[in-house]
Amino acid sequence: MADKNNKHLFGSGHTACAGCGQAIAARLAVDVAGANTIIANNTGCLEVFSTAYPQSAWGVPWIHSLFENAAAVASGIEAGLKYLGIKDKINVIAQAGDGGTADIGLQALSGMWERGHDILYICYDNEAYMNCLSLSTLIFTKDGLKKITDIKVGDEIYAFDQKTHQLVLKECSGVFDNGVKEVFELKTRHQAIKATGNHPFLVLKRNGRGRQNVLTWKTLENIKPGDRVVTLKKIEDGSPYKFPEIDKVEKGDYKVNKLNEINIPEQSNPGVMKYLGIFIGDGWRRQGRGEVGFAVPAGKKAREVLLDLHRKIFDSKISEDKEYVYINSVNLIKFIDTLGMGVGAKNKNIPGWVFTLPQEQRESFIEGLMLADGYDLKTSKRYVSANLDLLKRLRLLLQTMDYRVGKIHTQKKLKGALCVKRRLLADSEYGYICFSRKKGKNVKAYPTQSRYADFLVENKFFQTEEVISIESNGLEPTLDLRVEDEHNFIADGIVVHNTGVQRSGLTPFESATSTTPIGAQSVGNPRPKKPMPEIAVAHGVVYVATASAGYPRDIQNKVKKAISLKGPKYIQIHVPCPLGWRHDPQITYDIGKLAVETGLYPLIEYEFGKLTNARKLSQIKPVEEYLKFQGRFKHIMASAELIKQIQAVADYNIDRYGLRAEAAKPSQTQPSNTPSKA
Amino acid sequence: MRELLEGSQAVAEAVRLCKPGVISAYPITPQTHIVEELASMVAQGKLKSEFVNVESEHSAASVVLGSVATGVRSFTATSSQGLLLMAEVVFNISGMRLPVVMTCANRAISAPLNIWNDHQDAITVRDSGWIQMHAETIQEALDLHIQAYRIAEAPKIMLPVMVNMDGFILTHGLEVVDVPTQEQVDNFLPAYRPLYKLDVENPLTLGPLVGPEYYMEARFAIQETLKDVLGLIPLIQGEFQKGFGRPSGGLVEPYRIDGAEKVIVAMGSVCGTIKDVVDSLRAKGKKVGCLRVVTYRPFPAAEICRALKDVSRVAVLEKAVSLGSYSPLLSEIRSCFSGKKKSPVISGFVIGLGGRDISLDSIKEVFKRLGPKPVSEEFIDLKPELLVEKI
Repeated sequence: MADKNNKHLFGSGHTACAGCGQAIAARLAVDVAGANTIIANNTGCLEVFSTAYPQSAWGVPWIHSLFENAAAVASGIEAGLKYLGIKDKINVIAQAGDGGTADIGLQALSGMWERGHDILYICYDNEAYMNCLSLSTLIFTKDGLKKITDIKVGDEIYAFDQKTHQLVLKECSGVFDNGVKEVFELKTRHQAIKATGNHPFLVLKRNGRGRQNVLTWKTLENIKPGDRVVTLKKIEDGSPYKFPEIDKVEKGDYKVNKLNEINIPEQSNPGVMKYLGIFIGDGWRRQGRGEVGFAVPAGKKAREVLLDLHRKIFDSKISEDKEYVYINSVNLIKFIDTLGMGVGAKNKNIPGWVFTLPQEQRESFIEGLMLADGYDLKTSKRYVSANLDLLKRLRLLLQTMDYRVGKIHTQKKLKGALCVKRRLLADSEYGYICFSRKKGKNVKAYPTQSRYADFLVENKFFQTEEVISIESNGLEPTLDLRVEDEHNFIADGIVVHNTGVQRSGLTPFESATSTTPIGAQSVGNPRPKKPMPEIAVAHGVVYVATASAGYPRDIQNKVKKAISLKGPKYIQIHVPCPLGWRHDPQITYDIGKLAVETGLYPLIEYEFGKLTNARKLSQIKPVEEYLKFQGRFKHIMASAELIKQIQAVADYNIDRYGLRAEAAKPSQTQPSNTPSKA
Repeated sequence: MRELLEGSQAVAEAVRLCKPGVISAYPITPQTHIVEELASMVAQGKLKSEFVNVESEHSAASVVLGSVATGVRSFTATSSQGLLLMAEVVFNISGMRLPVVMTCANRAISAPLNIWNDHQDAITVRDSGWIQMHAETIQEALDLHIQAYRIAEAPKIMLPVMVNMDGFILTHGLEVVDVPTQEQVDNFLPAYRPLYKLDVENPLTLGPLVGPEYYMEARFAIQETLKDVLGLIPLIQGEFQKGFGRPSGGLVEPYRIDGAEKVIVAMGSVCGTIKDVVDSLRAKGKKVGCLRVVTYRPFPAAEICRALKDVSRVAVLEKAVSLGSYSPLLSEIRSCFSGKKKSPVISGFVIGLGGRDISLDSIKEVFKRLGPKPVSEEFIDLKPELLVEKI
């Protein structure tokens, strides 16, 4: 429980996101209301981040019951205090987010107003029911490794079970485009991932001697080098991959008069995998000539293995010379084309399904790769390739097989250097990685030390790894996923948290949330904001006000005025949500201010049904000033027509509440789409 | 003082004697008369209480949740759809360990819309952690409300109690009842002294977010407390008898089951009819009896087993169904005998749904159909002419 002597009645140490406008406003409100206050809180962000048992941030008596009944619970508290004869000494506050107020909680709130309870109701309006990864992120799914851009809703994704610490499969229930953002690269000794600063990762929290260590979510910007993040070390042993059936070319088909008879295997086995490993390293295919070739010189071990494998598996004619091996078969090309390995030295890659194979077949595949482009060093192995994407995927593959893998080293070969018997025509970059079998820790002999070094040392699938560096990687487009139940997934081998922001009745016109996504047929939330302050006024509420986290003193003044009056009161505070609105957490105040300065969120007061005050604006800014900093409006920034519609909402407010500081000008544009005030 | 009172009036009198500080309810037939009566008592100054007229049952339950959390004894009443609408709060009240007392005037659940009596509403929230007791008579309904506050507010219990009384049959029936004096009730029921409350002198956080590390223990604690309730209820019953001279309440009530071969198990007002049939059959030398389940939650399995162990055939008569399965009371009574060496043949009958009249003949029919082979979900008094399939 919070310390009573704490300066604030809403203590620090809660788990709100950085820059959360709601946390700021809630603290301002309770501090003004004072210690003689009882709060009833609806379910929502505020409740969740302030009262995760056994901690609580509240220094006043505080109760939470359900999502929609804070107004009714507060009515009961007020009635109880009246019965006890102490209501005059105690303030009752009911508070909720905008969903708990304007949607599901509206009925109970309307009842509270109508019955005239002496309660101040505060709505923290973050305009939605409330992180993202770089587009190059690779996700572990049931069907193998996939690019985040290829993930679809319904895909089964590997996740970290936070209770049992095991690897589990969960369904993906949403994919979100989060716009262009600054992306950071987090590196551990063996892994690397690019993500935005507010993306949460699973981090080990050491609780000190004699106490149990725990895993907690931390946003990337709060992670420091030296922290240990949870990473994947192994995935379950899969089953052999059933190759897709190919439409075999037969003799007599168009242009085919001579057919090289060939056997096509039905499913993967160690031999085929080794063969494909060599192909990725040294193979090519030429569609036009119906030719598959391998650049393996005679006398090299790879040539011997390749010929042997080919005879055993495909059993077709081979021609060879000193440098190359050729197989002429249209059907072999067709087969290789179905495997998703890409064409050309720079594009060939390890297909996702390889990640789902049994360990033995994955090992054979690595052997094949090593035969083509590998070097056996004494203590480790080195794989060299000019294809950095291939190296990244190989690195992930090795990590799922319990290998130690070093980082990708890059080197340059200058123009004119000899490379595969030819002189380079331009400077060329290539890379390599080194890997070796992991030496198991002797957990039995050194249990404490081993567990200190790696909290999850006895875990079959996961380990903790030290963060080495976090560096900005500039602006990049980002995506995020939502995963059922576990709300996490494994990206680039690291466990990360998923997202969630849904539409409410106070979600403004045209903004994008996960339940009002943007698409060809939609420009976001189709309806303007519900006019809650006017609905309150219509109930005969004695004091109605709007406020903004951008104006802290104004919040305090309004709360002070509200609690000095008897009867039902309603204050709606505009609280920017960096996570949901997708803005930089450092500009929460500025975003709040801009909403007011553009006229989109007028600060008004109604006393006993009359509009008594509206904050005047000496300089009215265009709405773009407010919109441009927020990811949720990204999609409309390109359309002058849509911006015009939002400007019309602001103009309507400016006119309706007389926000212009100088002599009131006549109304400009009356919007056609019936917008209401903020 | 003995008075001729309507069931709802009698309950209102009992509630008045318990002196709740906050009453909140939304009217629904057949509970309406109870809260109307209480509202008029408050208006006339007979009862000093805050009466909160809410806009829905969801809010009615939320208001008493809030007032009990503030440390004030509170009361609400509902029925049928109202109970289902407040179901979310019902689970919340028991989970937060708040000793609310609520009357449920038992009524059928829509659709088809029906305002008459059966037990489907209370049965539907049986897993909520509430203590559920069923009254047979108006006198018992009155008495159970006084006992309910004692049980709910016991410092070791702190769980809500739902007093069930059959809609219309008890709520709108007239009976001569003994209304206890304020002194009698005050001696039996001390003022509510909450263990925890919303208090500015000692600020507590109630209803926090609880992760997987703590949730199971909170639920387990309720399960264990309900076992204690099984021990407490007979004690309260004994104490009540001493103070008021009536053995109302308790866990189960056996009626002429000594040496009985066939016994009907049931809950609520229908037991009055069953007892009459038992008397008339006993007069003819038939060995029959009745076992009334008074406390349905926590479920008094041991007492039921003890009462029925020497009986050869048992009919469980229920005013509720678990559609698609065996009725709740039937499956629970069968399961209490599982693993026992000796068990009666237990059959299940459904009766009186949606207020279908239960006559003496209906009960005789149950005894007649209670054969050596167990049957389940036998509906009594069905009208075959309504069941003809129409194209």
